[in-house]
Amino acid sequence: MKKNWLFLSVLFAVMFVLAACNGGGGTEKGSETDNKGKSGEKETTKVEENLLSSEVTNEGEAIKGGTLRVGLVTSSPFQGIFNWELYEDAYDKEIMDFATNSIFSTDGDFVVTDQGAAKLEVDKDAKKATITLQGDYKWSDGKAVTAEDLIYPYLIIGHPDYTGIRYDDDFKNIVGVEEYHSGKADTISGITKVNDKAIQIQFKKVSPAIYYGGDGLWGYAAPKHQLESIPVKDLISSDAVRKNPVTLGPFKIDKIVNGESVQFVANEYYFKGKPKIDKVVLEVVPPTSIGEALRTGKYDIATSFPTNQYDGIKDLSNVSVLGRPELAYSYLGFKLGKYDKVDSKNIFDEKSKMNNVELRQAVAYAMDIEGVSEKFYQGLRERGNSLIPPVFSFYDETLEGYHYDPEKAKELLDKAGYKDKDGDGIREDKDGKKFTIRLAAMAGSETDEAIVEYYRQNWKDIGLDVQLTTGRLIEFNAFYDKVQADDPEIDMYMAAWGTGTNPSPKGLYGEGAEFNYSRFVSPELTKLLDAIDSEDAMDPDKRKKAFRAWQEYMSEQAMVFPTFFRTEVIPVNKRVKNWDASYATDTKDNLHTVELLADEPLK
Amino acid sequence: MWKTIVRRTLLMIPQMFVLSLIIFILAKQMPGDPFTGLITPETDPSRIEELRIQSGFYDPWYVQYYHWITNAFQGDFGQSYTYKIAVSTLIGERALNTFWLALLSAVLVYAIAIPLGMIAGRKQDTLYDKSITLYSFISYAIPTFVLGLIFLYIFGYRLMWFPTSGTVDVGVEPGTLEYYWNRIYHLILPAMTYAILGTTTIIQYLRSEIIDAKTQDYVKTARSKGVPMKRIYRRHIFRNSLLPIAAFLGFTITGLLGGSIFIETIFGFPGMGQLFIHSITSRDYSVITALVMLYGFLALLGSLLSDIIMSIVDPRIRID
Repeated sequence: MKKNWLFLSVLFAVMFVLAACNGGGGTEKGSETDNKGKSGEKETTKVEENLLSSEVTNEGEAIKGGTLRVGLVTSSPFQGIFNWELYEDAYDKEIMDFATNSIFSTDGDFVVTDQGAAKLEVDKDAKKATITLQGDYKWSDGKAVTAEDLIYPYLIIGHPDYTGIRYDDDFKNIVGVEEYHSGKADTISGITKVNDKAIQIQFKKVSPAIYYGGDGLWGYAAPKHQLESIPVKDLISSDAVRKNPVTLGPFKIDKIVNGESVQFVANEYYFKGKPKIDKVVLEVVPPTSIGEALRTGKYDIATSFPTNQYDGIKDLSNVSVLGRPELAYSYLGFKLGKYDKVDSKNIFDEKSKMNNVELRQAVAYAMDIEGVSEKFYQGLRERGNSLIPPVFSFYDETLEGYHYDPEKAKELLDKAGYKDKDGDGIREDKDGKKFTIRLAAMAGSETDEAIVEYYRQNWKDIGLDVQLTTGRLIEFNAFYDKVQADDPEIDMYMAAWGTGTNPSPKGLYGEGAEFNYSRFVSPELTKLLDAIDSEDAMDPDKRKKAFRAWQEYMSEQAMVFPTFFRTEVIPVNKRVKNWDASYATDTKDNLHTVELLADEPLK
Repeated sequence: MWKTIVRRTLLMIPQMFVLSLIIFILAKQMPGDPFTGLITPETDPSRIEELRIQSGFYDPWYVQYYHWITNAFQGDFGQSYTYKIAVSTLIGERALNTFWLALLSAVLVYAIAIPLGMIAGRKQDTLYDKSITLYSFISYAIPTFVLGLIFLYIFGYRLMWFPTSGTVDVGVEPGTLEYYWNRIYHLILPAMTYAILGTTTIIQYLRSEIIDAKTQDYVKTARSKGVPMKRIYRRHIFRNSLLPIAAFLGFTITGLLGGSIFIETIFGFPGMGQLFIHSITSRDYSVITALVMLYGFLALLGSLLSDIIMSIVDPRIRID
């Protein structure tokens, strides 16, 4: 259950760090990127939105039991921290999903529902939440799940010896956490046990985020009976985390080969019922050979499949390729100010080079994003029109965004006074001085360079001289170092954000947000952002309206504009009877229902 | 000779010290830090800042260096920022994988290269020689990842003779005979790739040494005495021709822990090469420094070992 936004590094998958996020729900909303009306010089054919279906059912009689074979695509070994409070690596999470300790279930918008192991009740006036277990549940070792197990994760995260990333501002929203963290209190005063099955949490404030597991709420239980004897500082290296974690989910970890593979067996105590298959074997597969592995039927399903390998598997007869929108978008941002570290706030500079709405819009209109989507991404990435990915119901599908329209871009530049005065085909700035824009772009896959060069050509076509900061694409770490430090060599930058399941944009575009890399601040923007997280917005309809207003404002100002929405590709072998990848009814949340049609994956 | 060994060993101390200083400073000069990868809008920046302060990130470099070197002397190289376990444990795990892979590869290299080199040298300019030379040119020219992928494709996925990734199947019970066989089984394909690519130097050295030796006076003497050619080859030529190969042996032994990033990545084999590259991209300082120190130490040790081996196999060489 993710409360905020995630930062998506396009580069090293290994460096991705996802914090708690249970693959919740989320209906597959058709993202009807509006393509009517606007047409540029070159009308690109609209890529079919549902290029890939999100669900597959194979006919046939299921075998009894069987082993589901999972390929985890990564080029480096997994870290192996199997604890929801401590893990940091996205691959560890992929593994833990089979034996999850998640207590809440979520719907299509990732809002907590009553279908999970526990129920959430919020009293917004008293700023309290009550979490109640909805039955007599057992851990994978047969011990009962109690209210103590719901409290224990908070005691881990808040502990003075806790060195993870989750002791954050959000978490400090729980009353008494800071006293506990500083060692002044033995326990968190704001968390109380109501009875054996329920706990109550007192918050300093509640916002709509709480329904997404935000505001400090934690969506997982921890097996206190196993962990309490281990000091928090030793937890991360303990066997209870590395080798034999006690879990709640459909499967439990049976054997682990460090960094390489994990064998799960069915958890007979799983509260939704014992899984129909006996085992899950998950192995690390290098991206170079996953296509071949799928073809030869080594795996039933591949997770974190690299989309650039899509061509190699799309025509396989033994594999159904499923897809779903990623919770992410790529974007281009303009540097319009600085971040003041002392006051922790962004300072917008009216005089900055790129502070001209027409200029920014022209940059956006000039980019042939549709063309790149088609030529380089096989339609697996499509032009983004909003800073909210289409998965959410807050997504504004009516938003126009920026189509490829060089004529309009030229018009805008003419209007804004950027004119070519010396006749060399390159426009000068308003005062007639040489005008060069410096773009920072990240080095990633082999096509990145070609794509950036293409965009530079696009800009040149409308008379804008765009040069690369440092003269070439920049390595991931160096890129973010520069962007974060407001390097004067950067006028605009191309990056990506992964969104969590709570799309509240305050952490990315707020006045105090360090991640507001464009540094754009305006009273109007602050007002719009506040409206999204206000107490009023606890009403979903009001929140939706607030979201729309914000999206429109962002699109109009174009201090940051979306370039692509991405599609996640999930290949599934045809011996799996049924697999659903859509967020709302994700099979990963119902693994106990998975059935197989043959003894081995089909070849 | 003992005196030399002691002297050389003592000399390693300042060498290692300078190396540690250089690598420590350079590692910290890299853009980003271990927490850059942790930065997600999910975490608030102040928590990251807290973690940086806790880890001593903002201390002056000499203070950090002092902490690190004093701990290192006690065998504590710190915690890996990414893997969250002691660096020594982490390296130990990976080193073991790499060691077995490299050992098998080295055995295979010698098993392939020595006979081929001997045949090529002895039957100079025949079809045998020419085919062997052609083979060594090809294996020299082919990039590691290409051969790795080809082997994986043919023997792993098409013929399905060998497992395609990892060091061992997760299902087998550790400690059983089946377990050890399973591990070896996983090693064969990557080791073969490694071995075939590594044979060229040895074949060519051996070949030219043998061709050289054939015209030497001691061979002529032996022949004139009527010693059979077979015996001359076995007792005289081969022994002498192996000397330059013995000179590499020290490096070969210590090089066993180097690891190969390509082979490890293609065969999904968690070894030292991958650990090194990954620690650099994720700015896992404690692992980077420990690994560079280890590699540096191994290089020094390798040259010492080579000298010692040479003095043993070739009595003409004395290293005092």
